[in-house]
Amino acid sequence: MLRIINCHISTDHWRIELPDIFLQSGELLVLTGPSGMGKSTFLHWVLGDTIKHANISGEIHLNDVSLNALSIEKRCIGLLMQDVHLFPHLNVLDNICFALPSSAKDKGGQKLNKNQRKEAAMRLLNKIDMGYVGEHFAEQLSGGERSRVGLIRALANQPKALLMDEPFAALDPQTCAQVSQWAFEQLHTQGVPAIMVSHDINNIPPEAQHLDLAKYYRRIAS
Amino acid sequence: MSSVTSTLFLSLSAPLLALYVAFMVYSQYRFNPRWQALEKRLAPLLSLPHLAVALGLVYLFSPGGMVYSAFAGIIGHAAPDWLGLPRKSLLTMILAISIKEVPFFLLIFSALGRQLAIKDWLLQGRALGYSESASWWLLVFPIMLKQSRLALLAAMAYTLSVLDISLLIGPNIPELYAVALYNWQTGFTSADQANAFLGNLLLLIMLATLITGIYLHEWLVVMRLRTNAVMAKPLNIARLSRVFTAWLGFFSLLTVAILVTFLLWSLGWNSQSTLSSINWSPALWQDEWFFMQGPLLNSLHIAFFSSILGVAITLLALELQQQSQRYLPDYIWLLAILLPQLSMVHGWRIAHSDLSASYTTSWIILTHIPFTFAYSYLVLRGPFQSLNRHYELVAASFGYTYWQRWWQIRFMLLRPALLSALAIAFSVSIAQYIPTLIIGAGRITTITTEAVAIASGNEQSITAVYMLVQAILPFIAFLIASVLAQRIRGSFDATHH
Repeated sequence: MLRIINCHISTDHWRIELPDIFLQSGELLVLTGPSGMGKSTFLHWVLGDTIKHANISGEIHLNDVSLNALSIEKRCIGLLMQDVHLFPHLNVLDNICFALPSSAKDKGGQKLNKNQRKEAAMRLLNKIDMGYVGEHFAEQLSGGERSRVGLIRALANQPKALLMDEPFAALDPQTCAQVSQWAFEQLHTQGVPAIMVSHDINNIPPEAQHLDLAKYYRRIAS
Repeated sequence: MSSVTSTLFLSLSAPLLALYVAFMVYSQYRFNPRWQALEKRLAPLLSLPHLAVALGLVYLFSPGGMVYSAFAGIIGHAAPDWLGLPRKSLLTMILAISIKEVPFFLLIFSALGRQLAIKDWLLQGRALGYSESASWWLLVFPIMLKQSRLALLAAMAYTLSVLDISLLIGPNIPELYAVALYNWQTGFTSADQANAFLGNLLLLIMLATLITGIYLHEWLVVMRLRTNAVMAKPLNIARLSRVFTAWLGFFSLLTVAILVTFLLWSLGWNSQSTLSSINWSPALWQDEWFFMQGPLLNSLHIAFFSSILGVAITLLALELQQQSQRYLPDYIWLLAILLPQLSMVHGWRIAHSDLSASYTTSWIILTHIPFTFAYSYLVLRGPFQSLNRHYELVAASFGYTYWQRWWQIRFMLLRPALLSALAIAFSVSIAQYIPTLIIGAGRITTITTEAVAIASGNEQSITAVYMLVQAILPFIAFLIASVLAQRIRGSFDATHH
C-alpha cells in the first residue's frame, strides 16, 4: 500500500496542503490541476528526485516502509513519462532486460543467464502481442507502441508503485483511449498502485481516485 | 618498426585515456552546481598550448623539476631519478597528450550533452534501480562514444603526426614516427625523398589503422556495456568516476603551476636553486626582448589574420549550407584536423615550391586557415544552427530584407559565439608549428618555432621565456573575448538554445 501523509507543497507565491493519500494494490490515483501547480513536482518528489523550484514536505510510506530517506534507486517506484525514454542504443528486448531485476531467477532458483533474460523479456512482449517489436529500436516504433513498451519495461522492473506523468498525452485520442485502458488493466492485474498526472479530466477511469490540486491551492498574500 | 608501433600505441592510448577521463569528469560535473564553473573555465583551459603542457610537465615533474626538487627538499636528500617523470619518453608523451586532450573532449561532450536527454535517461535508470554512476556508463556512455568518433579521430590524427612535442619530450630510441618522417621530408638525398614518399603512405596506413581501432574499441565497449545492461549488472569501475570531482581544481592548479614554473625559470630559477639562493632578475627578459620582437609580431600578425579569415569562412560555409539546405557531413569540413598534418603540409610545400612562391607571412596565414577554420566550425556550428529562427521571422514581419536580418539579428545574436571562435582560432594559430616551419622554410619565425628551436638546446631559462609568452597569448585572446562578450546584452539567451 502507498501512503502519503501531511504533504505540503509551497513556493513564494502559493501553497498546497494535500489530503492524505492511501492507495491499495492495483489502485489508481489521477492527479489533475492547471499547469504550474506542482503536479509533476509532486511526482518527482515521490520518486525521490531533487526538487528545485518548490518546497515539499510530507511522509511517504510504501508497504509500511518509510521512503523519505531513500534514494531513487532504492525506492522501487517506477516512472513513466510522456516521452517514455526508451534508451536509444538498446533495442526493445534489451530495454526490457535492462529493467528486469538482476536477481531474477528461473523456476529452479538459478539466476537467469543472458538468453533466459531475453526470453523472459520476449514473454512479456508476447503477452501483449508485441513480440514483433523485440528487435526494433525506439525510433522504429509508433507512439502507441512506445507507450506500451514503456509500461512493460516499467513493470518488468517489478516496481511496488508506479508514477505516470501524462504518459499518453502525445497519442491521438483514439490510441490514447485504447492504450490507457490497457495500461490501467495491466496495473490492476499486477496489483501495482499508481499515481497518474493528467490534463484530460474526461478520460479518468471510473474506478480511479481523483485529486484536483486546484481545490487545495492557496495564494500567499505578499 | 618499433617507431611505428610505439607511435600507434601512443596515438591510440593517449586520446582514449583522455576520452575516458573526460567522460568521468563530465558525469561528475554535468548535473551539479560545479558545472557552470567548469563551462566558464573550459575555453581558457583548452587554449593552453600542447607544447606548454608538455614542457610544463617536464619542468615540474622530471628529475630536477620544481615539484621533484621541492619533494627532495622535504625529505632532506635527493630523490631517486625513477621517481621523476622521464624528460623524454613515451610515458611522458602519453601523459602530456592525455592531460591536454581532456578539456577538448569535455568541450565535445558539453555540445553533445545539449542534444541528448541525459537527465531523463539517468532518472529512468535510477527509477529502475541503478545507481547514478552505473546509469551514466550503461545508458549515456555508449551513445556519447559513438558520437565522439570524429573528435577521437581528430585527437588521434593530431597525436600521430605531432612534431614539436615529439621532438622535445618523445623518446629518442626509437624516435616517434613523426620525427623520422620529418627527417626524410627535409632530407636532400634521393633516398630520403623516396623514404618521404613511402613514409607519407605509411602514415596514411597508420591513420587507417587508427580508424579501425576506433571502431573496434567502440564495438568491444558497446558490446560489453550492452551485455551488462541486459544482465542488469552495474559496472565495477562506475565508482571510480567520483575521483574526478576534483578534476577542475587539479587542472587549474596544474595550469597555474606550469605558468608559475616558466615565470620562475625566466627570472633566474634553475635546477640547482633553492628559494633563498636565487638572484631574481628580469635580465633574461630584457636580453630576449630584442630577439623576441620579430617572432612575436609574426605570431600576432599571422594569428590575427588567420583567425579572422577562418571565422569568416566558417560563417560563409554555414550560411551557404543553410541557404541551400544541403548539409555536408562534418568530416568534410573538419578534414584539416582529421588528416595527419605532416603529410598534408608536405603536399602543400611541394605545391608552394612548384609555384615558386615567396616565403612571406601571407603564405603562412593561408596554411593556418584550414586549421583555424576547422576549430571555428566546431565551435560555431551548434550556435549557428540552433539559433531561434523566430527572431528573424519577427524582423521579416517588420519588413527587413534578408541581409538586414542577417546582419542586425543573426550576426548580432552570434557575437558571443563568434568571440569564442575567434579566441580559439587565434590560439590554434599561435600553437601551429608544422605549417609555419615547413612553408616558412625557417625564414618566418614565430614564438612557437623559436620556442621549439630553443627548447631543443639546453637553455631551459630562455625556453621558459618563450613558453610563457606562447602560453599567455591565447589567455589574452580569451580574456579580451570574455570581457567583450560580457558587454553584449542578451548574449546568453541567444547562444544557449
